[in-house]
Amino acid sequence: MNESALCSKTHEYVLELQDNQYEIGLTDYAIEQLGDIVFVELPEAGSEFEKNEVFATIESVKAASEVYMPISGKVIAVNEAIVNAPEILNDETAEDKWFIKIESDADQVEFADLLDYSDYKEEVE
Amino acid sequence: MTKQTFLHDKHIKLGAKMVDFAGWHMPVQYTSIIEEHNTVRNAVGLFDVSHMGEVVVKGEDALPFLNKLVPQDLTKLVERKAVYCQMTNKQGGIIDDLIIYKIEDEKYLIIFNASRTDEDLNWMVRNKKGFYVDVINESHNYSLLAVQGPKACDLMRSIGLEDLPPFFSIKRAELFDVNLWISRTGYTGEDGVEILVRNEFSEMLWDNILEAGTNFGIKPIGLGARDTLRLEAALHLYGNDLDEDTTPVEAGLSWSVSKNKIDDYNGKAIITEQLLNGGRKKLAGFKMLDRGIARHGYEVYDGDKKIGVVTSGGVSPVRGDNIGLAYIENSPEYKIDSKISIMIRDKLYAAQIIKKPFVTKRNKTEV
Repeated sequence: MNESALCSKTHEYVLELQDNQYEIGLTDYAIEQLGDIVFVELPEAGSEFEKNEVFATIESVKAASEVYMPISGKVIAVNEAIVNAPEILNDETAEDKWFIKIESDADQVEFADLLDYSDYKEEVE
Repeated sequence: MTKQTFLHDKHIKLGAKMVDFAGWHMPVQYTSIIEEHNTVRNAVGLFDVSHMGEVVVKGEDALPFLNKLVPQDLTKLVERKAVYCQMTNKQGGIIDDLIIYKIEDEKYLIIFNASRTDEDLNWMVRNKKGFYVDVINESHNYSLLAVQGPKACDLMRSIGLEDLPPFFSIKRAELFDVNLWISRTGYTGEDGVEILVRNEFSEMLWDNILEAGTNFGIKPIGLGARDTLRLEAALHLYGNDLDEDTTPVEAGLSWSVSKNKIDDYNGKAIITEQLLNGGRKKLAGFKMLDRGIARHGYEVYDGDKKIGVVTSGGVSPVRGDNIGLAYIENSPEYKIDSKISIMIRDKLYAAQIIKKPFVTKRNKTEV
């Protein structure tokens, strides 16, 4: 994953693409911990979510987990590839593992509890 | 405190992801559950199942004592053969499911679930009154290794075990200069063996089997794949699919119950009645038609009417779809091909009742 992304304590990352546009996904650490991922459910483009709201569901062989919005925003693109072939997420050589792209006018307050990738790694390992 | 098997260090060194299971610190996976699952279906896998419990029952009343505990007729069990049993309470509910091996007259070995150790031993002791019998918990002395898969028996032969016991039999054998018990049993639906060995030899045996198995494509297999394998084979998991409020008949285990057993046993009246008329509920196998994964505890619906609950569910790596087991109302309305729905995160997903097991079992091949 892109190490300039910011990470939440619930293992989502948010990466700024351009002004007010962000990519959101799960951290590589979270994916490794989940093991074989067999199901991904993503929201439809156009849906809006608050920070910390559940926007996606992901299931490994063992269990189902919810995925939370690291910041608020409106979905502008959805990665259908991981819905159709969830195993992409476990493929270390695969690149496009993002979940959704959003438009957001989140302010500094929403970013306050997010961690740099290196701080996040320290926190979880 | 969490217990460790004698192979705990081996799992750590192999990079296993460890979890707490039934009071034991056990490997859930070494690499990937799906990869490990496919290894057992296509080649051979090695499992540490030393958390399983072992009890030896011996004494002149060993047979009548055990025959009181299970609905299976153990008077028919011959030396060195095994039988799959359920230990039932007075209401016919299942205290645990077990494999009982007849070692010799007046001496039996019982393998039981780690999660049920206290309940099993207490129940045996409570039922012991009036019988000349010793119930000896040997769990802390023995390790149990399972070698499972289509190449399991070839592997065992390659390390000197020419004469393997037939399906559901046990024999004394010598392997790498160690005396041990080897039985043709397992929990995967594949052919294979389980090896009962004293703790001090388990590491040596683990290493030697892994090394000799390289040519056969062996991999160590964690509890994650053990669960997906047993689900595909529709083998019950205690605590998921079996509990004290469920009878063998309701659990779809009537095939294992002796219909003409003369001796009395705990729960006989209820089980006998249910063999004729069916139970209050029945265990159905289903596959998901919609994209969704059923999990333990999810509700089952017929239209908007709740008719049951999922007890086990997940992916089937071999079939490539999502499958499960559920207790549903015992109505003739619900049969093979019936459409049902599973409530997943407040939404209903279509499913269909299908035949069990979900994959063809290949464990009854000849020696």
